[in-house]
Amino acid sequence: MLPPLLFVAVLLILPVAFVGLYSVGLRTNIPGVPTAFSLMDWKDFLTGGGGAFRSRFVYSMEITLFVSVITTAAAYPLAYYLSFVARRRRYALLLVLLAPFFTSYLLRVIAWQIMLNNNGVINSLLWTLHLRPHGDAISWLIYSNFSIALVLFYTWIPFVALPIFVVLENMDHRLPEAAADLGASRSATFWRVTFPLSLPGVIAGFVFVLIPTTGEFIAPLLVGGPNNQLFGNSIQAFFSNSPAWNYGSVLAMTLIVVVVVLTLVFGRFLRTDLRTGTGAGQ
Amino acid sequence: MRPVSRLATVGLGIYFWAFVTFLFIPLVVLVIFSVNKSTIPALPLSGFTTHWFRQAFSNGELTTALVRSVVIALVAAVLATAFGIMASLGLLALRGRTLSLALAVLLLPLVVPYICLAVGLLILVQEVSAQPTLVAVVLGHSVIALPFAILVILPRLRSLDPAMNEAALDLGASGFAALRYITLPLLTPALVSSAIICFVTSFDEFAIASFLAPSGQPTYPIFLYASARTPALLPEVIAIGAIIIAGSLLLVVLAEGGRRWAERRLVGANASPAGELAGPDGEAAEPMFATAGPS
Repeated sequence: MLPPLLFVAVLLILPVAFVGLYSVGLRTNIPGVPTAFSLMDWKDFLTGGGGAFRSRFVYSMEITLFVSVITTAAAYPLAYYLSFVARRRRYALLLVLLAPFFTSYLLRVIAWQIMLNNNGVINSLLWTLHLRPHGDAISWLIYSNFSIALVLFYTWIPFVALPIFVVLENMDHRLPEAAADLGASRSATFWRVTFPLSLPGVIAGFVFVLIPTTGEFIAPLLVGGPNNQLFGNSIQAFFSNSPAWNYGSVLAMTLIVVVVVLTLVFGRFLRTDLRTGTGAGQ
Repeated sequence: MRPVSRLATVGLGIYFWAFVTFLFIPLVVLVIFSVNKSTIPALPLSGFTTHWFRQAFSNGELTTALVRSVVIALVAAVLATAFGIMASLGLLALRGRTLSLALAVLLLPLVVPYICLAVGLLILVQEVSAQPTLVAVVLGHSVIALPFAILVILPRLRSLDPAMNEAALDLGASGFAALRYITLPLLTPALVSSAIICFVTSFDEFAIASFLAPSGQPTYPIFLYASARTPALLPEVIAIGAIIIAGSLLLVVLAEGGRRWAERRLVGANASPAGELAGPDGEAAEPMFATAGPS
């Protein structure tokens, strides 16, 4: 028990603690600079001259929330189909749905870059079919909000379908039957019995995409334009191209706080019942 | 009355298969352009070639990066799975508040964004006055893979009959012997799943590696990212990508098939009749991914 706890403490909690110390100026990467507790960088980011980062944070959260909502809504019918229609083959089909998720994330983003590019597959297909004049690329296809949202949607949707499917599977299927027996129409059965019972899965799916996409920075690098960079890109830029790690730590700490708060708020829906050992139910 | 009307059944079926098509299109596109003559991945297709595969495999930088990533992923998978076994055995003995707390700490890597962990580890490396090293990449990858190992191993461990371990101890086995000859063999399917998931997690990881790998020693994702922005290298990237995609899809199918086979054997006589997959509610039919968290 102790070795894994120590492992996480040294390699996760300690680094995060250092990010915290850097964010308040108690440590620094610049040699010779005196260190003292200071909230200067936090003030700058939250209320001062760091407006560019504030607005990028807001933009980032907007994109993330939008993608999470759309992804969850689009994933629900997939899970519903698996659980209620594809009864016998449902685990095989679930695997088909999840399989792309298990191929390289970076490769899937690169594949989309190849497709969405100005000289890419989609544009050149339209040119070949004479649906658009040759050389006239669709302007919003890449380096846009659309391309960022599409790629994030694409990468996460199988993963959102999973918790919804698990909840639908573990649901007592006699309940919708009882509703139907008692005279409820199909839509009444769905909206008043099945859907409310599946809400924990819906929320879990929503969080499953919300949490990883808040820190996203790879997709914007490959399919985003200068105006579509996310908050994760700001953090990345501070630590790879500048010595201002203290300011970068403020941004990283902000992201950690946001994610921890989200996890605490939604945490009870994420429980995989590891405590009771009754399986993967929510 | 059927729970889903015939019209809805058809509609949902069309939706599902349209979605599967959408999910596989980018993968198929990569495979198609990996055998396309033109250096620019665009239509119309310009003829079949295996040139890019040959060129990719003769690119020393690329193959070294691939091997480097495989080694890192192997070590990280073994480390994470070993810690996962230790953690799961420990968690099994805990109850109540201590259990919640220990579980919260061990699953924390699922929550902290990789980019934040990456910069934190970069700071840690700097604080101990070390240089970026592949060892740091391995350790970082092990820590992010640990929750997946636990999520796969712990439910399996809980499903084991404690009487088997007790019987071994009663028959005079030491605690270690009971673990070695009873518990671990029974855990094999979960350990294999865990190792595969941890391997894939590490092999594909970009954020931590990009900050911690020394500049002269790129991992495969770092090389991939750099090459994706270099048009001349793109066809090679696509060729290797096609192989990786085919390989990982094959691995998913094999892992799932193997896991079902192994679980059927281990569940033994009280499972469904031979030759048939466990029934609709049978444990054996549950895919290994059902317990995985977000990566």
